[in-house]
Amino acid sequence: MNLLLPGMYFAADSALHRLDPRVKMGVATVLMVLPFAVRHPFGHLLTVGLVGTAAILSRAPWRALLGTLRTVFWLGFFMFFFYFFTTPGRPLVALGGVTVTLEGLVAGAMQVYRLCLLALIAALLTYTTSPLQLTHGLEAMLSPLASLGFPVRELGMVMTIALRFVPTFFEEIETLSRAQKARGVDLSSGAPWHRIRNMVPILVPLFLSAIRRAEELAVAMEARGFRSQPRRTHLCRLALSRADAIAVLIVLACGAAGVLIR
Amino acid sequence: MHIRVEDLTHIYARGTPAERVALRGVNLEIGPGERVGISGPTGSGKSTLVQHIAGLLVPAAGQVLLDGVPAHRRTPEARARRRQVGLAFQFPETQIFEVTVFREVAFGPRHLGLGADEIAARVRWALEMVGLDHDSFAERVPFALSGGEMRRVAIAGILALKPQVLILDEPTAGLDPRGRKELLARLRGWQAQTGATLILVSHHLDEMAGLVDRAVLLADGQVVADGPTRHILSDGARLRAVGLSPPPAVALLEALRAAGWPVRTDALNIEEVVAEIAQHVTTDGHG
Repeated sequence: MNLLLPGMYFAADSALHRLDPRVKMGVATVLMVLPFAVRHPFGHLLTVGLVGTAAILSRAPWRALLGTLRTVFWLGFFMFFFYFFTTPGRPLVALGGVTVTLEGLVAGAMQVYRLCLLALIAALLTYTTSPLQLTHGLEAMLSPLASLGFPVRELGMVMTIALRFVPTFFEEIETLSRAQKARGVDLSSGAPWHRIRNMVPILVPLFLSAIRRAEELAVAMEARGFRSQPRRTHLCRLALSRADAIAVLIVLACGAAGVLIR
Repeated sequence: MHIRVEDLTHIYARGTPAERVALRGVNLEIGPGERVGISGPTGSGKSTLVQHIAGLLVPAAGQVLLDGVPAHRRTPEARARRRQVGLAFQFPETQIFEVTVFREVAFGPRHLGLGADEIAARVRWALEMVGLDHDSFAERVPFALSGGEMRRVAIAGILALKPQVLILDEPTAGLDPRGRKELLARLRGWQAQTGATLILVSHHLDEMAGLVDRAVLLADGQVVADGPTRHILSDGARLRAVGLSPPPAVALLEALRAAGWPVRTDALNIEEVVAEIAQHVTTDGHG
């Protein structure tokens, strides 16, 4: 596969990889709120600075990170023009019957900037945190809910399995579309109706294999005695380090500064 | 169709930490009507190479020429050439999606824009070629068939395209010995009838022996040997060096040779082994 998908994990050893998953998830949440909470340009500068630092620390290739922005391209495109044309304010140019305003331009650009940051933060989280760690962290964070009868461990298992099969799923789509192309299906041209119909030879086998795989997995888990009932312990316990404390402090300090500046 | 692979290089996940070079400057020429086997250990680039020949991948460097036209181009000439190359992927039965065997096999011909009569004739012919009786199978649900039958339906779906070049990627993987033998015999029959080019990807060297005249060995994305099947398969040392085990016939004769019998090792099947041993039993008085 030549495309890098958002949500993929890069096995590597970087400062960001070594952070505690709970810290990373918490920090990511704070960073995702910041572009919306901050008012002053200096606050935005701080936010971009934090995300940029994280990107450098992650040692993820730039091309891969920027590649994730492609997934939000169309959403950003529509959001930009929505704000561009609908925000009232000082008229900039009148195109036909539509008046474009300076405020619209700024508002549209702001939305795109926020969207890009969100995508980057999410990508950084999944690039540097293995699915297992993500689930482990989430389970740990949700564990207080377990006493209320919320199936935290089951949810964790479901999440692990789902994340594990995302790349497999995409690989399968790749293979199937190549295989059907070899039988003469043209997937990239034709009328919309034809293109939708041409998806059938890919979707049917895809779902069939997903269902078959789910069944096989369930049997395999049963065969190995999987039960969700007794509480399982983890081989690697989560433990906060000094680096975690520093990361939390820096993000909280910068975040507070960014929000408080008016 | 004349196939020419020129300095072909393929890199998966280029520019990422997962980057992997699958093919490194492969050169290969396959003439019309040739029967070629491609073998090599897992990850040697066999599947990548044949997908390039079918024009399904874009090379990182080099190219595949089908009758002189680069296979991956988006031009009408390239598309017309690609249509003449049929490729059955590994486990082709996983691509089955239609509700009846007939519709599944007719899928390719229908995309060629053929008339209903021609499609029906091709489906009948293709099912016959893989040894499935048209009248008893055509209206059955493919998902209710056995694994071996589904495999044959999937391959019939490719044969119905009447390609000038047929590529089969591990066609017998997961079949029982009888299903394996039967499928190979059917493919031999198809090739004899059509005279088309056959490219067989397999790491079962003994099944290549009866079906192809020329063998190409790949290792780590490069061609390490290319020649007559008998010549390539009888070189046990080279096969082991790239991580393949020689066919049982060759292994047996090699063992006899090591034990002091002056036998030749280039036998391809059990009959030849028996003949070779028999010769020495009588002339040397070993018996």
